[in-house]
Amino acid sequence: MDLSSQLPLLLGLAWLAPLASFVAILFFGPRMGQHGKNAAWVATAAILTSFVLSLVAFGGWIGSHPVQAVSHGAHGAHDSHGDEAAVGAHGAGHGPAAHSPIAYSGDWYTLYEGGNLKLSIGWYIDALTILMFVVVTFIATCIHVYASGYMHDELHDVTDHEVHLSGGGHLHRPGRFPRFFQALSLFCFSMLGIVIAGNLAMVFIFWELVGICSWFLIGFYYERKSASNAANKAFIVNRVGDFGMLIGLMALWGALGTLHFADTTTTAADGAATTQPGLFSLVRPAAGGHALRVPDGMVKFAAAKEVAQIAADHAANPADAASEVASKIDDWRSMGMGRWLLFVAGVGIFCGCVGKSAQFPLFVWLPDAMEGPTPVSALVHSATMVAAGVYLVGRFYPVLSPDVLLVIAYVGAITLFIAATIALVANDIKRVLAYSTVSQLGYMMLALGVGGWSAGLFHLVTHAFFKSLLFLCSGSVIHACHTNDMRKMGGLARVMPWTAGTMLVGCLAIIGAGIPFVIGLSGYYSKDAILAQALSFAQANPAHWILYVAVAGGAFLTAFYMFRLWFMTFAGRPRDHHIAEHAHESPAVMVAPLVALAVLAVVAGWTLPGGFGLANLLEQARPAGTESTMTGGFVFGGLTFPAEHESHEGAIHVTATLTAFTTAAAGVLLAAAMYLWRILSPTLVAYMFRPLYRFLANRWYFDELYHAVFVVPALGIAKLASSTDRGVIDKIIDGLAWSARQLAGIDAWIDRTLVDGLVNATANATWHAGLELKKLQTGHLRQYVMFIVVGTVALFVLASLLFRTTLAG
Amino acid sequence: MDPTASLTQPALWPLTAIVFLPALVAAFLSLPIIPKAREEFIRWTSLLTMAVVFVLSLWMAWPQLFGATGPAQFRLGEPGMQAVVKLPWIDAFGIEYLLGVDGISMPLVVLTTFLSMLAAAASWPITKHVKAYHVLFLLLVTGMLGVFVSLDFFLFYVFWEVMLLPMYFLIGIWGGPRREYAAIKFFLYTLLGSVLMLLAILMLYFTSDLRLLSDDQLIAAHVVSPAVEGAARADALTAVRSAKNPVHTFNLLALAQLGQLPSSPFAAAEVWGMSLEKWAFLLLLIGFVIKVPVVPVHTWLPDAHVEAPTPISMILAGVLLKLGGYGILRICYPICPGAGLAFAWLVCGLGVVSMVYGAFAALAQKDFKRMVAYSSVSHMGYVMLGLGVWSAVAGNEYRWDAWAQGVNGAMFQMLAHGISSAGMFFMVGVLYDRVHHRNLEEFGGIFNRMPVYSGLAVAVFFAGLGLPGLCGFIGEVLVTLSSWNYSRTLAVISAFTVILTAAYILWAIQRVYLGAEYKGPHGDHLTPITARELAIAAPLVFFAILFGVAPQILFNYVTPTVNRQVETLADWTRRVHDAPPVAPAVAQRGADGVGSR
Repeated sequence: MDLSSQLPLLLGLAWLAPLASFVAILFFGPRMGQHGKNAAWVATAAILTSFVLSLVAFGGWIGSHPVQAVSHGAHGAHDSHGDEAAVGAHGAGHGPAAHSPIAYSGDWYTLYEGGNLKLSIGWYIDALTILMFVVVTFIATCIHVYASGYMHDELHDVTDHEVHLSGGGHLHRPGRFPRFFQALSLFCFSMLGIVIAGNLAMVFIFWELVGICSWFLIGFYYERKSASNAANKAFIVNRVGDFGMLIGLMALWGALGTLHFADTTTTAADGAATTQPGLFSLVRPAAGGHALRVPDGMVKFAAAKEVAQIAADHAANPADAASEVASKIDDWRSMGMGRWLLFVAGVGIFCGCVGKSAQFPLFVWLPDAMEGPTPVSALVHSATMVAAGVYLVGRFYPVLSPDVLLVIAYVGAITLFIAATIALVANDIKRVLAYSTVSQLGYMMLALGVGGWSAGLFHLVTHAFFKSLLFLCSGSVIHACHTNDMRKMGGLARVMPWTAGTMLVGCLAIIGAGIPFVIGLSGYYSKDAILAQALSFAQANPAHWILYVAVAGGAFLTAFYMFRLWFMTFAGRPRDHHIAEHAHESPAVMVAPLVALAVLAVVAGWTLPGGFGLANLLEQARPAGTESTMTGGFVFGGLTFPAEHESHEGAIHVTATLTAFTTAAAGVLLAAAMYLWRILSPTLVAYMFRPLYRFLANRWYFDELYHAVFVVPALGIAKLASSTDRGVIDKIIDGLAWSARQLAGIDAWIDRTLVDGLVNATANATWHAGLELKKLQTGHLRQYVMFIVVGTVALFVLASLLFRTTLAG
Repeated sequence: MDPTASLTQPALWPLTAIVFLPALVAAFLSLPIIPKAREEFIRWTSLLTMAVVFVLSLWMAWPQLFGATGPAQFRLGEPGMQAVVKLPWIDAFGIEYLLGVDGISMPLVVLTTFLSMLAAAASWPITKHVKAYHVLFLLLVTGMLGVFVSLDFFLFYVFWEVMLLPMYFLIGIWGGPRREYAAIKFFLYTLLGSVLMLLAILMLYFTSDLRLLSDDQLIAAHVVSPAVEGAARADALTAVRSAKNPVHTFNLLALAQLGQLPSSPFAAAEVWGMSLEKWAFLLLLIGFVIKVPVVPVHTWLPDAHVEAPTPISMILAGVLLKLGGYGILRICYPICPGAGLAFAWLVCGLGVVSMVYGAFAALAQKDFKRMVAYSSVSHMGYVMLGLGVWSAVAGNEYRWDAWAQGVNGAMFQMLAHGISSAGMFFMVGVLYDRVHHRNLEEFGGIFNRMPVYSGLAVAVFFAGLGLPGLCGFIGEVLVTLSSWNYSRTLAVISAFTVILTAAYILWAIQRVYLGAEYKGPHGDHLTPITARELAIAAPLVFFAILFGVAPQILFNYVTPTVNRQVETLADWTRRVHDAPPVAPAVAQRGADGVGSR
């Protein structure tokens, strides 16, 4: 079996294994051992199977496509600037040896097919897909193992101390051990579905499923109001992003009629194969050296008026009309038609990513998502869900025009700054990590936005390792202390050496610690790459220097808040003796995953001699047309996106590395000064900057703002709609009925006073009719039947008189 | 036609049985020999009748399940009318007993029989006048099924009216405290719709003229049965041709053929400055959208639902609302294409307004059932939008597939909503049967009290939320995606609805099922789901998942017919509507192949 049929099979099974586990636990969960204890094994076995299958696929991949150092010179020579002026967005790289990534794609299953339109479930597998599979399944496996220890409380009846019943006392409930693993399995299945998706429709499907799984998991303690609120908030805020994503999907689907990433080839019954281009080759046709251009479909869509005119001119011969339209497309494109559509499509899809990856302005759900059990936080914050947004930007990268990229960069910059400032003052250990996640996701988005495709995704992977590590460590701490509040911790390093040590590794990795130019932890490499690319971009586009400042400043803030966290938790003397006395190191089943993840947090960024490493693996999946400098932009003026390899060399690299090192060191030192050596008193600092402190401690008042600006008006409109029904529409209906009764009354009165005396018999009949009508509201049915029958006959007669005469001739 | 031959039409007895068996049993049950006190017997009779009808409809729709494929059974992939039954009824007006099914009506028939069966099972808690209840219920079923299979407009109208009276009584007698108000309101609204519809029917009838159709078209429309051949066929055709006066018809297929002629009599006739086609379209549209219902003629729905007993709510939401969408698709568009194109903005606009307005109104409700009722308004808005997105115009090079996607999506949405809304109303009913209130603020903690029930209920509500993997998603996403090509503004507003839908459904789930403890009265009555209830809920959940995962099961039926109709109308737009003035003879020829064959 060759790779093209092997990979979908392996990864397809890896994808479906957690689904099987979900179904099994759904039906048989409570019967799996005592209190469903074995559900953990079922789920863990499933995800482990996925991991092994992913590894096999990975082995097969590197067997056929060895990972080697990429030679940059080959592409550099072809750098040139596009000549399709005024198209709005165009790239370069018109070299004869234009790079195109190795990818396999196909369809498993059709959801809808009509005409040329087809929605399907399929795969798109390249180095990035496989890498994500390995990372997601590995981290998920660690988290499953960890959770089988962490969730042991759920194996017996639970007393939830956070739920106060109306009759006083706390809630007692049976444990829900299997339910947790059931949801976890579905979550993994959904995430892997996004990763393997061969088209945007499938991405959207699993996008929503990830959302609902997060709803289940965040709301796991659904008796707590705060948990169910957080779950709803997460889902609804994500839906706001999905609203944008739907618009993006519509813009692509409406104009292009496909959502497939790659070209699809269908073989007809007679053996003739037809190829329908996918999104990537529509936007970056190979004929144009993979330079970005507005696809024909969008041009035509924007030129609907012109097309209609041509159709009218050639009404007699549609074929002429079609060929004339085809000949005009290039003209229309050069007039800039359709470029807004491409922009809308890109920004729309990015909106979805803003929701999932918790970017500004939709990041508010992520910190609240801490209501879920800690293993869930670890999974949500590292390899799944929030990773999905960044992954999608990376996957969808070829279609993003320069203007969209700039939007992404700025959204990333704003996010990373806001989140980092909030993390500075947070006291809940999980919330610090949550805001750090938001901030790091901002880094990734910014990197992608300034042309650092590989840098952003590289950071996604390294971050997945160290952030899951950090969360699991914090879980271990919470498990030991039964509190999230760092102000009650301190000095835990002595009692929890493994947790403290692995968490220190995590902190060092996230701040990008390393010996400059020699060696470092995984974060060192990925963060350097981001800094370098941001610097390179800032040099090419001096107007956007602020992006580089954001990255450098963010590095400082990251170092400060991470070490603030570590010092407050593990260093110094215990602040709360009761807690310190009861604290203990976690069991082996929880420590083992920590060690495994810590090892990867150290080595994940390394490149072996010969070139085997993450960065080079990612290069294999680099979207066509992004290996060289790209220029363009019509909304925000001319933009230049320097080729990524340029930032790896020379002065830019040196400056970036030194900046990263200095800022991080400064952050650590400041944290040490305040929380370790206590040269500066944190309370004094907070007092000095009181308004600022309060502003940050209240998370910039985003929740309050959104509540006032969106939630309250929405509920107001809802009330208005509801009362319009009762107050206006129903009043009109009731009024009509009332008038009918009045008319009947008048009718009856006329009968009695005028007609009565004249023709008694007739009057009697009419009077009865009037009485009957009067009962219109009282529920007598015969009248209506009569009404219909009489009305029918009357109308029949009327209509035949009216129309027979007009049409008989 | 030879009258003995007409009685051997293969589909005559199966289709007739599906439609009239419930009525027959209703007549039997209403006999005085059935004592009122034998309630169990009556309930079982009703349930078994519906089970038989369901199996019969399944036998038609899915022959493979029963082995052999007979001529009366449905052939997948064939777009035209199948299993046509044609018998003369009222000769004076050319009214026929003309029945048939195609890819649009077949799934709706099965949905109706299926939901009616479940509703019969859900009728056990009804203890008041059991006999009368089941008689009316079975009559209602006959009315609904008749509407879906009628191809004669008069017959259609008769069934339409037959359906209303039982529904009126079922709400008015077996309903809640404000049942009389709700029933009257339902009746007044529907009556208004019916009267306008009748007017349109007569307008079309008296304007129609079969002589305008070609021989092929007459045969395709079953004016002359395709089964009749040779001399008999020639005679029948000559009879139409040689008529001195216009030959009027109620035949829906023939009316569609006429409406799509380049020289459509409906477009030619004018009444008060507007073409008769447009009048008819608008009158029919009002009649149908009251049923759908769309804002602003929707206020009968929340009241009717809140007052109606659970099984009737299931039928009302699951089937009755679909009649409106079905009517628009089957009657308005094919017969009045010119008006359909001219008023596409109206249909789409009503749809989008309903989607948003219904969702907002649902968000504000305190009554669980009322909230579900408004969710129906919102969900049926998708149906309107999908039906209306006539994007096959010159600027789009007459590409029909986006519009076809909308119509397919609308059809799917109707079927999916049939499952999910019936499920949602049933789930509300299960709670109501126990605690006798529906106040959203006074629930909570149901998940811990009734875990199996809550799991199923959450699944059904998620189907309503449009979650992928469940039936609600496919229709919504197809409709939303298709609307972009018709109007960007409407598309964006319709996409916006996804936020509101998530908000009201999740909020309701939170208030009812989540939380620590039940806050309302009769907490001790919250017993686990019974076997009977499970037997109703489980199939609904099963189909909600099945159609969400394998939508092709339904699309296999729907798509060929819908695509053909849309393609025909797209073609009509190019050749007739946008056509340059050409010689009449050419135009006449060009109309061949329009409509069903």
